[in-house]
Amino acid sequence: MASEPSNTAQAPSNGTSTDAGEGPPSLGPDEAAIYVDGLAKTFGSGEDAVTAVEDVSFAVAPGEVVGLLGPNGAGKTTTIKSILGLVLPDEGEVRVHGIDVHANPRAAYEYVDAMLEGARNDYWRLTVRENLRYFAAIRGQNPDAMAERHEEVLEHLDLAEKADTAVRDLSRGMKQKVSLASVLAGNVSVAFLDEPTLGLDVESSLKLRKELRRLAEEHGLTLILSSHDMDVIEDVCDRVVIMNEGRIAVDDTVEDLLAGFETKGYQLTVRGVDDAVLNDLRGRFELSDIQRSGDRARFEVAADTETFYRLTDAMEGHSLDIVNVETVQPDLAEAFVEMTRGEFGADRADENTAPTGEQPAGHPPTSDGGERR
Amino acid sequence: MTTDDGRALSKPERTGGYYHLLKAVIYRDLLIWVRYPLNAALGIFMGVFFFALMFYGGTLVAGPSFSDSIEGLIVGYFLWTLSLGAYSGIMNDVQSEASWGTLERHFMTPFGFGPVVFAKSIAIVFRTFMTSAVVLVVMLLITGTALNLNFVTVLPVATLTIAGALGLGLVMGGLSVLYKRISNVANLLQFAFIGLISAPAFDIPWLRVLPLAQGSAMLQRAMLEGTRLWEFDALTVAVLVGTSLFYLGVGYAVFGLATRRARRLGVLGDY
Repeated sequence: MASEPSNTAQAPSNGTSTDAGEGPPSLGPDEAAIYVDGLAKTFGSGEDAVTAVEDVSFAVAPGEVVGLLGPNGAGKTTTIKSILGLVLPDEGEVRVHGIDVHANPRAAYEYVDAMLEGARNDYWRLTVRENLRYFAAIRGQNPDAMAERHEEVLEHLDLAEKADTAVRDLSRGMKQKVSLASVLAGNVSVAFLDEPTLGLDVESSLKLRKELRRLAEEHGLTLILSSHDMDVIEDVCDRVVIMNEGRIAVDDTVEDLLAGFETKGYQLTVRGVDDAVLNDLRGRFELSDIQRSGDRARFEVAADTETFYRLTDAMEGHSLDIVNVETVQPDLAEAFVEMTRGEFGADRADENTAPTGEQPAGHPPTSDGGERR
Repeated sequence: MTTDDGRALSKPERTGGYYHLLKAVIYRDLLIWVRYPLNAALGIFMGVFFFALMFYGGTLVAGPSFSDSIEGLIVGYFLWTLSLGAYSGIMNDVQSEASWGTLERHFMTPFGFGPVVFAKSIAIVFRTFMTSAVVLVVMLLITGTALNLNFVTVLPVATLTIAGALGLGLVMGGLSVLYKRISNVANLLQFAFIGLISAPAFDIPWLRVLPLAQGSAMLQRAMLEGTRLWEFDALTVAVLVGTSLFYLGVGYAVFGLATRRARRLGVLGDY
């Protein structure tokens, strides 16, 4: 995992929802690779109005890798599309390398590209190389002059052997990599990647994570990742911005975020237990996941340090042998669920992706991770 | 601008320009066209088939006198296929790009969405010229007719005429960005093209300001009577240029407004 602390983190790392994202970002608009201040967007009007994003502010330093997380309908896609100029916000300022994206989009697009539709980001009837050449040209590059760069990206993503194969003849995961290659080959300094590892096998996913870190560290590429795969976020990102109900709930480094949850629970294995003792402990402490075999029991307890010591005192009072104690280490997924109050994955009628891909006008855009085609 | 560790971050180098954009867009359009080979072949076949149907049907009904007006029919039909290709091409292209998931990438370019879509329009006109030329040659072979194909006259007049159709195509493209499926409305306009192409623009002056009408009348004269471009009076040429650029401009403006509205509604990439 990346260790560079973010200089834009605004939330205390206690793992709770905070007022993160409110107020101006700590990096100035000209210092940040991405600068968002007071972003707001409401779709529709009157009773049908849906506020997708409200007062969102954050900044991303050049070369920083940020994960943008949130349950369905949290406002991630609207935020990303507003930053990219694909959605016109009602309020707020968005800058890429100091350039106002909405006032001067063509200048901003010199720096930024995005993979928003997963494997659907390319032409399936064209070969891998033809795709790279085409998207280079529409990004203002001479494809011939970029040939070496294209070969390098294809090599790094294990696509070199498939360079002259039509994308439609590739596997789902390979298609995903082609989409990624066509973004990374464009020589941009800021890239937005929506579900970059979707459909990849474990080995490819690990390799891709390494490649993204390499690009950030060696080339100063600024990355914004949106993913439901917490392992990817944990491995690749310097920092996470968690959105919930259109606002930023948490903006913190991955390390600090996890540290805030580190001592929230313990797993204990004890010997000498019987029903009466166990009932007594259950009545006094929040035991969970209890597994008992004879006089031996293993359970988890949600406790801070003070409560933990009270528990050990109580067990000593019952003459129990404490065989093992482990701190329950939360992963990012648990932290995420906790901070979004268990709304992860919850269906929201206002932002469901229609299976046909059709969506009434005036509703917040949603990402489908490139599944519809 | 520097990264956290102080490395200089420079603007990504631009190695290409509008030439590379146009070349890539034309090449991609042709590649996609040939990689749906059945659709490509059927497009040309249907063009020839409908003409043959009209020709043999007309001869059957009207007898040998039908062949007296066959040159006019050929020129009109040629222009119709050309206009239709340009008009529906850009609309279909926008819809296809949205359904493929590639439309938004065309928005995020340093050239801007308008110029990229305009380059696509040129690519579509280029391809339509090629396919319509094939249909034209087959029509001439079927009917045993010869036309005055003075390219110095035919090419610019046809191109300017098609520019008007392209303007209407951009209007429809803009509406499809906004409303996604508009094929029923678009199909209606195809039939209006027949009326516009056959409008007697030289006889009824106000018809000249309609799209396609002036160009069609000029093309008929050029291909049937051998009139050269410089033999048309200046006003006739000026009206052609003016109406073509007007409809193209209107189409471009409507496309821009529709795109902006789609961004406001958040439906740009939807389909």
